[in-house]
Amino acid sequence: MPEHIRYARNRREFLTQCFCGFGAMSFASLQAQDAKRLSPLAAKAPHFPAKAKSIIFLFQAGGPSHLETFDPKPLLNQLHGQKRPATFGNVEYQNVNQNSRILGTKRTFAKYGKSGIEVSDLLPHQAKVVDDLCILRSMHGDMVVHSAAQYQMMSGRVIPGFPAMGSWFTYGLGSESDSLPAYVVMPDPNGTPEAGQPMYTNGFLPAVYQPAMFRAGKRPVLNLELPKGITMERRRKTVDFIRQLNEANMLGEDPEFAARISAYDTAFKMQTEAPEIFDVSSEPQETLDLYGVGKPLTDDYGRRCLLARRLVEKGVRFICVVAGGGGAETEWDAHSDIEKNHLRMASLTDQPTAALIQDLKRRGLLDSTIVLWGGEFGRSPESERGTGRDHHNTGFSMWVAGGGFKGGMTYGATDDIGLKATVDPVHFRDLHATLIHQMGLDQDRLSYLHQGRRERLTEVHGRLIKEILA
Amino acid sequence: MRRILALVGVVAAIAAPNINEVAPLGKYTPVERRHWAFQPRKQVVPPTLKDPWIKNPVDAFILEGLQKAGLKPAAEADRTTLIRRVTYDLHGLPPTPEEITAFVNDKAPRAYERLVDRLLASPRYGEQWARHWLDVVRFAESDGYEYDTHRPDAFRYRDYVIASFNADKPYDQFLKEQLAGDEIDPKNDTLLVASGFNRLGPLRKNAGNQDVASSRTEVLTEMANIVGASMLGMTMGCARCHDHKFDPIRQSDYYRLQGYFAQTHANDIVVASPEEQARYKETMAPLEAEMRKLRFAMRRASEEEKGKILTRLEEIDEKIPSPPAAMYAVKNEPKEMTPIHLLAAGDYRNKGAKVGMRPPGVLLPEETPELPLETEKPRQRLAEWITDPANPLPSRVMVNRIWGYHFGRAIVGTPNDFGKMGLKPSHPELLDWLANEYIKGGWQMKPLHRMLMTSSTYRQSSRSTVGAEKDPENKLLWKMNRRRLAAEEIRDTMLAVSGRLNPKAGGPSVMIKIDEELIKDLKRPQYWVTTRDRSEHDRRTIYLIYKRNLIMPFNQVFDAPDTLLSCARRDQSTHAPQALELLNGTLSNDLAVAFSKRLTGDKVKQAFRLATGRAPNPKERLLSKKYLDDPDPTAVTEFALSLFNSNAFLYVD
Repeated sequence: MPEHIRYARNRREFLTQCFCGFGAMSFASLQAQDAKRLSPLAAKAPHFPAKAKSIIFLFQAGGPSHLETFDPKPLLNQLHGQKRPATFGNVEYQNVNQNSRILGTKRTFAKYGKSGIEVSDLLPHQAKVVDDLCILRSMHGDMVVHSAAQYQMMSGRVIPGFPAMGSWFTYGLGSESDSLPAYVVMPDPNGTPEAGQPMYTNGFLPAVYQPAMFRAGKRPVLNLELPKGITMERRRKTVDFIRQLNEANMLGEDPEFAARISAYDTAFKMQTEAPEIFDVSSEPQETLDLYGVGKPLTDDYGRRCLLARRLVEKGVRFICVVAGGGGAETEWDAHSDIEKNHLRMASLTDQPTAALIQDLKRRGLLDSTIVLWGGEFGRSPESERGTGRDHHNTGFSMWVAGGGFKGGMTYGATDDIGLKATVDPVHFRDLHATLIHQMGLDQDRLSYLHQGRRERLTEVHGRLIKEILA
Repeated sequence: MRRILALVGVVAAIAAPNINEVAPLGKYTPVERRHWAFQPRKQVVPPTLKDPWIKNPVDAFILEGLQKAGLKPAAEADRTTLIRRVTYDLHGLPPTPEEITAFVNDKAPRAYERLVDRLLASPRYGEQWARHWLDVVRFAESDGYEYDTHRPDAFRYRDYVIASFNADKPYDQFLKEQLAGDEIDPKNDTLLVASGFNRLGPLRKNAGNQDVASSRTEVLTEMANIVGASMLGMTMGCARCHDHKFDPIRQSDYYRLQGYFAQTHANDIVVASPEEQARYKETMAPLEAEMRKLRFAMRRASEEEKGKILTRLEEIDEKIPSPPAAMYAVKNEPKEMTPIHLLAAGDYRNKGAKVGMRPPGVLLPEETPELPLETEKPRQRLAEWITDPANPLPSRVMVNRIWGYHFGRAIVGTPNDFGKMGLKPSHPELLDWLANEYIKGGWQMKPLHRMLMTSSTYRQSSRSTVGAEKDPENKLLWKMNRRRLAAEEIRDTMLAVSGRLNPKAGGPSVMIKIDEELIKDLKRPQYWVTTRDRSEHDRRTIYLIYKRNLIMPFNQVFDAPDTLLSCARRDQSTHAPQALELLNGTLSNDLAVAFSKRLTGDKVKQAFRLATGRAPNPKERLLSKKYLDDPDPTAVTEFALSLFNSNAFLYVD
């Protein structure tokens, strides 16, 4: 077992540091308490004081266009129908080629908020909270195809098999909740984005750091409800019985078996308490309306964003709310008609997204919660199939909010047609480095020895973007 | 400073050396060469201790270590414990109550040795030990990445591995067949299937224009990296982007290893019947015709029309049926040889100096020349070098793995990494002695299993506490290590004790019924076709499909690897989702019902004997009686389920 998740060497060592009254506890439950404290999921102190405790990643799968959202490029409309001027240079594309023509945008941009940041009319709700957003206009990644780009965005590597951000943060900081998983993914009910399950998982980190999938539908979490015909009363007896059987077999100090007993306690708690989390009907009508719950277009994403806030309140460390999946038309992957695709995607997600920021803020949670918005890349200045845009990884936009980031600012810039990030480029690994920092961790110490390398989320080293920190 | 270095790297990449230059052969300092793993194996003589505890030389090594630390070995485990331990170890399944009784009552001498021999001779042995090798070579039956296309013929490689273990194929031959089966004998089906080893890695296929060079680089990377990890215990992959930071592996070493694969390409050898082939052609003909037309039309299409054509092409792509049954093999295509260059930061666009083929230089005399990429039968040459008895690594690496699977902790605790960042051997002399014996015995595994398992070291009880203070991690083996069953073993055991296990061996992999939501989470859900014959669903887990983008939740919670990177050692984690899976999961609940129906007499005694291999102790008996003393009809199935959740079931002492 690697150093950082090993249980304390012996119980005495642990007890000498612990001053609670456990006289009445049985030996086994005492050990179970130890196990909880010493378990690999126990909350861990950060490397230095943290700005944020949780992250909500609003993952916009498929690649939303920066040109239709947060990065206004008036020159595009002037160049509409022409070939890209050679001065902008070349980039590699999936489908766009040398014969492709620049596509102007039908969106209009206006200044919003005190900050006067320009946002397109595609996102009227996010425009209203723009003073809370820090828009990164100079994002870039290394891959122009979905799966590899999604892997890089999530795990820092263009190939699958490496731990996702959520797993890294859970590994580094543990869990604040003993009845909910530390790392939750809420996939889009339409299906998966291209990179599939491996993009969310723990890779070579131990299985305790894998995500819990909260799916839409009747069974949001696998194995959370009782099997058919089994009553809660019966199950309570069964869990007690399992505990007694396992205690009967314990000889002396046994942290591993104690951890198993503790895992059953947690499981039972999850089973009884987690369903309450899913029941948003206890929320006031005003809140439901804010997120658009109950309205046909926004109901699904609104519920999931609201659920994300509820999870943050319970101390869940990392939540990924996925918008898009199941194919180009149900993702931001607007190859053939950018207008139709983006209007649809925006109508599903814009209001809930802004609601999440407002709701976190008025509850005083935004300071300790980072909200990250964006996809694996942006979209090409040239048209594909006449009215669509191709994948585009050399310059696009994402935003961060809360968690010690400055609000109401833009950072970095692309060139005049949004082709390349030219001012203060931000690579995925720079974004990762900055998120790690805000969570109170050191990107080089958040490492795990795997096959000869101290693997890190930032692979080599990411640049901390100090300019955007409050 | 780092940023400056990164900038220097970028500049270096731009000012790439002439791509026609040959990369230097590399120099290795005496200090680099002195690292223990690169040193020739020592001719070790086992310690000459005299002690009745010593059953074979393994014990002499271990006892010497214990004595030096002032420790004593644990007492021998009792027979019920032993038979359960060895049966799981060799078969991944529990012994039946009858087998337990027979062994416990076997008063003849060498009863234990005969038990080990019987288990080694059973075909279940290959199923269990193949699983270990499949972890190491990251075997899966789909491509991974976006489409995660299935590889419906990959099972042949899995069956080849099982058969090889069962036949006790010498390990050197096993490696040669996998690396170079097609070169050794292109007419031999077994060898062709074995060569599929070179294609086991994930494979990225995407829609749209794909840079062929980029894909080819990824294919070559997969081929080369796995050789380092699985056969040499060297983290070669680290040197893809730059010289290895810790080990004497130069970037040129890495690309020279890739050089052996420069000619290697996929080769699907059809084995389907003529009728099946005809049927495939029939389905494909109209699709192909349409695709040809569309591609032709594409040339003069307007932008808008192009969009429609592409959409249509994607639709057709989804309709393409599985190709006719084939063997996944490789072949050399000298005309399609990829020139191999050092790639700055591993990026195929940043070509540097060129290389031929050569094994890692630190294991060769200084200035050993490379061979040209055109060399005939290149992989056979690599295989010959790897399996040369003078090569210090592969024998050590394999005996170390075998030791680790038996004892729960390998002599080198990082079985894929014998480099500087890896752990040092706890018993270096023992490691060399075992490796030498292994080669002397013709690289056969079964004699090695026999020696390890019949030692006093292996037969120790796991319940001793004598070394808890001095050696808390039990590096010196003052007791046997307890282990939790692996995911596959838990499922197989639940099937076995509930009387449902279908022991059928080999053949195409099974897709069991799984939660609809999981299938919906696939980009191409249509690939998941639940196997129609329900009896197939109860087969051993090794015969279920290993799909990269859908690791079975049951396997996942119990630490099964993701099949994307080589897995040298599975974790043994403990977390709440495991409890939820066993308490509420469909699998455990279905099988608990079947299990409870088998309990017809003394339910408690019967259940414990089946599930834990022993009689209940008085406390367990009392608790169980109390639990079952309940008119609730679900009590008995929940009792059965409780046993699946008990440590006595999930752990092997």
